[in-house]
Amino acid sequence: MTPISFPKWTLFAMPCLLLCLVLTVTGLASAAESVTFNRDIRPILSDKCYACHGPDKGQRKTELRFDNEEGALVDLKAGGKAIVPGDAENSALYQRLVSGNEVLRMPPAYLGHDKLSDEQIELVRGWIEQGAKWEKHWAFIPPRRESEPAAADPAWAQVGFDNFILARLEKKGLKPSPEANRRALIRRVSLDVTGVPPTPAEVADFVNDTSANAYEKVVDRLLASPRYGERMAIRWLDAARYADTNGYQSDGYRHMWRWRDWVIDAFNDNKPFDEFTIEQIAGDLLPNPRRDQIIATGFNRNHRTSAEGGLVEEEFRVEYVADRVETTATVWLGLTVGCARCHDHKYDPLLQKEFYQLFAFFNHLPERGLVYNFGNEEPWIKAPTPEDESKLAALDKEQAAAEKAWGALDGKINKTQRSWEKWVQASGAPDWAPGDGLILHFPLDGSLREETGVYRRHVSHNPLKNPDPEPPPHPFVVVADEDDEEGDEVERQDQGLKLSFDKGPLGQAARFDGKTHVEGGPGFEFSFLDPFTFSAWIHPTSPNGAILSKTKLLSKEAGHGLYLRDGKVFLYINNRWTDISLRLYGDKPIEMNRWHHVAVTYDGGRKARGVHLYVNGEEQGKEIEWNDLIFPFGSEEPFRIGAGGGEPNFQGLIDDVRVYDRALPAEEAKLLPVLATVTEIARKRTSKRTTFEAHKLRGAFLDRAAPAEIETARKQLYDTRRARRLFHEGIPTVMVMMDSEEPRQAYILERGSYDAHGDKVYPGTPSILSSFKPEWPNNRLGLARWLVDRSNPLTARVTVNRLWQMFFGVGLVKTTENFGSQGEKPPHQDVLDWLAVDFMESGWDFKGIVKTIVTSATYRQSSKMTPELIELDPENRLYARGPRFRLPAETIRDQALAISGLLNEELGGPSVKPYQPEGLWAELTFNENGYVPDEGEDLYRRSLYTFWRRTVAPPSMVTFDSANRETCEVREVRTNTPLQALNLMNDVTYVEASRKLGERMMNEGGETPAERIAYGFELATARPPRSQETNVLRQAYGNFLDDFQTNPEGAEQMLGEGESELDESLNAVELASYSSVASLILNLDETISKE
Amino acid sequence: MDPRLERKRHLTRRHFFGRTAAGIGTAALGSLLANDLEAAPKGEASDRPYPGLPDLPHFAPKAKRVIWLFQSGGPSQLDLFDYKPGLDKLRGENLPESVRKGQRLTTMTSTQESFPMVDSIFKFKQHGQSGAWLSEVLPETAKVVDDIAIIRSMKTEAINHDPAVTYIQTGAQIAGRPSIGSWLSYGLGSESSDLPAFVVMVTQGGGGQPLYDRLWGSGFLPTEYQGVKFRSIGDPVLYLSDPEGFTRKSRRSYLDALGQLNQMKLDEFGDPEIATRISQYEMAFRMQSSVPDLTDLSTEPSRVFKLYGDDSKRPGTFAANCLLARRLAERGVRFIQLFHRGWDQHGRLPTDLPKRAKETDQGAAALIQDLKDRGMLDETLVIWGGEFGRTVYCQGRLTEDNYGRDHHPRCYSIWAAGGGIKPGMVHGETDDFSYNTVKDPVHIHDLQATILHCLGVDHTKLTFQYQGRHFRLTDVHGEVVKDILA
Repeated sequence: MTPISFPKWTLFAMPCLLLCLVLTVTGLASAAESVTFNRDIRPILSDKCYACHGPDKGQRKTELRFDNEEGALVDLKAGGKAIVPGDAENSALYQRLVSGNEVLRMPPAYLGHDKLSDEQIELVRGWIEQGAKWEKHWAFIPPRRESEPAAADPAWAQVGFDNFILARLEKKGLKPSPEANRRALIRRVSLDVTGVPPTPAEVADFVNDTSANAYEKVVDRLLASPRYGERMAIRWLDAARYADTNGYQSDGYRHMWRWRDWVIDAFNDNKPFDEFTIEQIAGDLLPNPRRDQIIATGFNRNHRTSAEGGLVEEEFRVEYVADRVETTATVWLGLTVGCARCHDHKYDPLLQKEFYQLFAFFNHLPERGLVYNFGNEEPWIKAPTPEDESKLAALDKEQAAAEKAWGALDGKINKTQRSWEKWVQASGAPDWAPGDGLILHFPLDGSLREETGVYRRHVSHNPLKNPDPEPPPHPFVVVADEDDEEGDEVERQDQGLKLSFDKGPLGQAARFDGKTHVEGGPGFEFSFLDPFTFSAWIHPTSPNGAILSKTKLLSKEAGHGLYLRDGKVFLYINNRWTDISLRLYGDKPIEMNRWHHVAVTYDGGRKARGVHLYVNGEEQGKEIEWNDLIFPFGSEEPFRIGAGGGEPNFQGLIDDVRVYDRALPAEEAKLLPVLATVTEIARKRTSKRTTFEAHKLRGAFLDRAAPAEIETARKQLYDTRRARRLFHEGIPTVMVMMDSEEPRQAYILERGSYDAHGDKVYPGTPSILSSFKPEWPNNRLGLARWLVDRSNPLTARVTVNRLWQMFFGVGLVKTTENFGSQGEKPPHQDVLDWLAVDFMESGWDFKGIVKTIVTSATYRQSSKMTPELIELDPENRLYARGPRFRLPAETIRDQALAISGLLNEELGGPSVKPYQPEGLWAELTFNENGYVPDEGEDLYRRSLYTFWRRTVAPPSMVTFDSANRETCEVREVRTNTPLQALNLMNDVTYVEASRKLGERMMNEGGETPAERIAYGFELATARPPRSQETNVLRQAYGNFLDDFQTNPEGAEQMLGEGESELDESLNAVELASYSSVASLILNLDETISKE
Repeated sequence: MDPRLERKRHLTRRHFFGRTAAGIGTAALGSLLANDLEAAPKGEASDRPYPGLPDLPHFAPKAKRVIWLFQSGGPSQLDLFDYKPGLDKLRGENLPESVRKGQRLTTMTSTQESFPMVDSIFKFKQHGQSGAWLSEVLPETAKVVDDIAIIRSMKTEAINHDPAVTYIQTGAQIAGRPSIGSWLSYGLGSESSDLPAFVVMVTQGGGGQPLYDRLWGSGFLPTEYQGVKFRSIGDPVLYLSDPEGFTRKSRRSYLDALGQLNQMKLDEFGDPEIATRISQYEMAFRMQSSVPDLTDLSTEPSRVFKLYGDDSKRPGTFAANCLLARRLAERGVRFIQLFHRGWDQHGRLPTDLPKRAKETDQGAAALIQDLKDRGMLDETLVIWGGEFGRTVYCQGRLTEDNYGRDHHPRCYSIWAAGGGIKPGMVHGETDDFSYNTVKDPVHIHDLQATILHCLGVDHTKLTFQYQGRHFRLTDVHGEVVKDILA
């Protein structure tokens, strides 16, 4: 082999290289050729002139504009015209470009612009001379399939678009490269289509397959593999800014993996791309949508959200809607509509108004700027997996059976109860109230000596806190509150157990004079997800006062409180009074100086709708003061009766205070105020009993006197109900699009500012693009149909372009995210359009278009480079060779896991936490537990399942240029840094993979070092090493062996890395040496590249 | 990507392709890719591993590098730098609407029934020849007060941490743009042959507002320009250490073999990326010694630890990071940013703020003194400050010895020193309530423009084309604050 001596020509080649780049790749024509507007002129005008003479009316100083023909041909104030077709000398445009006067010259020197280059000026001159013909921007004209040119080598083409490639190569005097050898080819296509390398058996099959369609068979097999859906999903997740946390400040968790799995399934099922689009944009608006179609709309809930206390809600809500617009436009239209958010677009014909028309499609979610920080923010739906569904069905069945059995006992219960009632009528019975879940009960019956606060342990749902050990019993005290309202702490005067009592509805009641309260021990540990019920009898003499609380005594801080305020029952559950709080009133004041029973139930759902207020057994209406309970909290304060929360102390009598750790259902809450005792009710005639008296009697009977058969059936009923409820609670949810019934009015926001409402706007699509058909609904569903309508010039092009980028490294339009006038005019528009039309005509067959690309002759070429080709076409935009570039971040890791035999191929499920250096989370985030890696098989899942925390993203993904998942990212970039080298050599992921590969080499690779090395090499590269390569590796192996022999503990240490089992049967020094060779193999440029 | 950069990258790969034969070795972290041939004829390429963009600096720089001691959470200007002697008489009085002028408030205080003003509980004194007023909680800063310029008229629009920190770091409140350090790393390149151009260190422990990797991220600039976080736990740079038990000798023979195999691939395929990869592995090898050498403080004499205080012996403290910052500066790192958290005193300010001051005061002052003693202060721009200030009115209950303050965007104080900055001056004035600026307001865009200016960069000209638009750090704003320039 001749070494290529680049140093000699490298420097000299530079000017030529530049020129070639300009001429051949960007396709600029020399003046001799005919100049075309889209190819040659629009890029210049757009970049240099549109900022002041473009679509943005706010920036145009005069009527002259160069983004459309009309505007370019206006009469100039100074006389004449900017453009006189055929006459450059008399065209002001040309004159101003060449002007030697810095004041007159355009673009203006006083704004810091340089003169255009001579070539650019020459192009403009040539264009004017040739008649100044205008063209609509290429990307806004629907794609058309050009007839395929005849090429000199008609046998070369495998698919239609190959002919365009070949014809262009021939025109440049170039030949395509030969087809890559089979080993390289199967590795390339396997990594591209499935993201994992071929197995040795798959390689051998292909190498030995002599049939004509051997390659096609490989491609079909890969497309049928579930790994295909995962591979395609990765880039879609980048575009969809998918992550497992909210982003922004506290960056709490969210659960969108059911949407992610929908994407994988959709690719694997080859859902046509138009359906794929419609369901993600507007699945919820389809007629009778299926659950999976609603799950699909999670696409536009993947944006970042903020739970930063203190934020201005509307500012962020607007940001969320804008993100949906920008992401949707980037992914389907390849347009930078975000540029029109504050003003008309400076380069593309997109008005600010049109941005807000798109905005109006996405503006109707019942959402706020401040979101829940510990899970999914509304709206969300339950998204059971198929396994969940069958489990749930089984539980439903069990519950139904228990309900049925219970119902069948009805007669028996009535009968048994009647005989029990007779016994009660005769001998009387203790009174009864619901006891299930009662964790605190203060009868306040004349002495506090007998009362204890803690009934049983309650396990908190606080996600930040594990339940503490049970606190010691708190001394039960009565406190006289000092009149010091200024201090943080009151002087406590322990009054012993002296408290005055008076007659209450249930025995005695405690009297509160506005200066005393009762402290009842540590009470409970409820946080925001804990259901509860508070209940008490009160006889107020003042309309303002605290009934019960567990929070600071004198200030409004974290905790709970039940109060009277202006005579209304008032509940709060509070993280921070100012903004993270749930507070509501009953809608009617209660009468002073008489007894009332008050009860409040809360379902643990963080929302006002989960609160019910009862006064004397009647449910009250609710007046909501604050409804943003998004953070957990705790309070170390004691449970208090008669004071707390900085509210006035209670004045009057309080009796029978109860706290349950469940939300009592209405029928139970309503029987609490039933004053008739069990005995009294039993002695009433059945027809004289009220409904709730009857409930009370039934409750007492079942709790106290039911025979075993009934008790067993009742237990069965409760157990099955609880099991079903708990399972249902645990079913995963996913955030979705679901519009409010009342649409929210959209406005143009002046300067993009959330609070500067301009004119009202309504949903609509940009006028420059295809028209919106009247039969479509003017909502997201219509928008979705418009996106995938055949007349839309962009969607198909933008989509096939991203695929092309995935396989060739650079898109046919290099600016994957921008098909506007500042984007690249594709050098191979014919190929792009051929693919776009083919894609649409195939019924948006995604697997079909993938197959077309990877079976093309263009794709199958060898990727070897020659100095001439590097010089002529360094980025391979002419496609005289196959693609060769470094693998994406996810594939590098997945491949290492696959080669070493560690890869866990489980499909879907919640995100997992593989290895990560210690402390990365803990050192940046709020005080919280750091990253805890998973154990066992979950360490070896494919990288697309790695838990993605936006503010501290997985470091090895970021190091290898993954998208950042903050906002929509569609352009693939690749850097080449020493941090990558360190990562691949030293990260436990790769050290462990090397060990496992080392084990494979020893166990499966034969007997001699050379055989074993060859085996490992082939696993990684799909080819056997050449003898020089074997020699180098053999030599390295010898060096490692020497080193480890003098350092056997070192071998043990190295082999100890990683959680997977070590094959103890192998000699440690040898294994460490093979593992080192394996690491070397995993670090080879060839291994981490596809070629 | 910027076509200029893109073009250069191709050239560069060639360049390394060429260099490979002669021996590998002069590559800088990532940024070396942008090594510029156009600079080669000036004979600079070999001296400066990564000279940055060809037209930079735009003019002669005053500073070669920046050390930004970022104080996250919003330090209270009223209790540190902005003395308001008249406030004690207004204590407890409601902030007049004529002062507030409809300023939007965070929802943490917007529902507060009143806005009682509160003076600082700390004593202020004048210091140095400049006679600048400083709070008693900054005794060490007081000793270097004649070396620094205090800006009392900083302002921003953001009222919450995440948007505000993102704003001052990237020029936009919503995350996504490149951080100032990555802009400079992109524009000016690195002076170091074996360290990144942009290094970040975070004080460990203590809690406070969260930070995010994106605060030193590269946004739409290529990822090699992002800040590299040096850590005090585990490896200073992620994955720096070889696996346990694997010797340096083995690593050398490993890299020799890897280099040979990659060279064979290069010979066969001719892909310039392979040449770059070979050099990056060598660079990684060198970093494995240069970084531990950097973070090994055992060679520092005891007087240095005395200067920086006892904290500086404990890795991960602000003082230790200040000392490391000086060592990074000595080694040519372009942009060094320290983050210290916990300045968010919504309540308990009288007890909590002095703790933050104590953690940072000596380290920051020592850094100034140390740089000065070494003759490096002139070429090193040091900034001390955070994302916004705090309100004159009390958040929560105002008591005799306790108060809190909410976020305040309209004015706050920072200081700057060294390269290009006039020492011993105070710039800007606020009203009697430290609520509005009344003289020489300095918007955070102005600060960004000024930092760039000190490094010889015209902030309007350091741009990058993304999504069809030429972006810059200061968006369409920013004026260089000429009055504070030396």
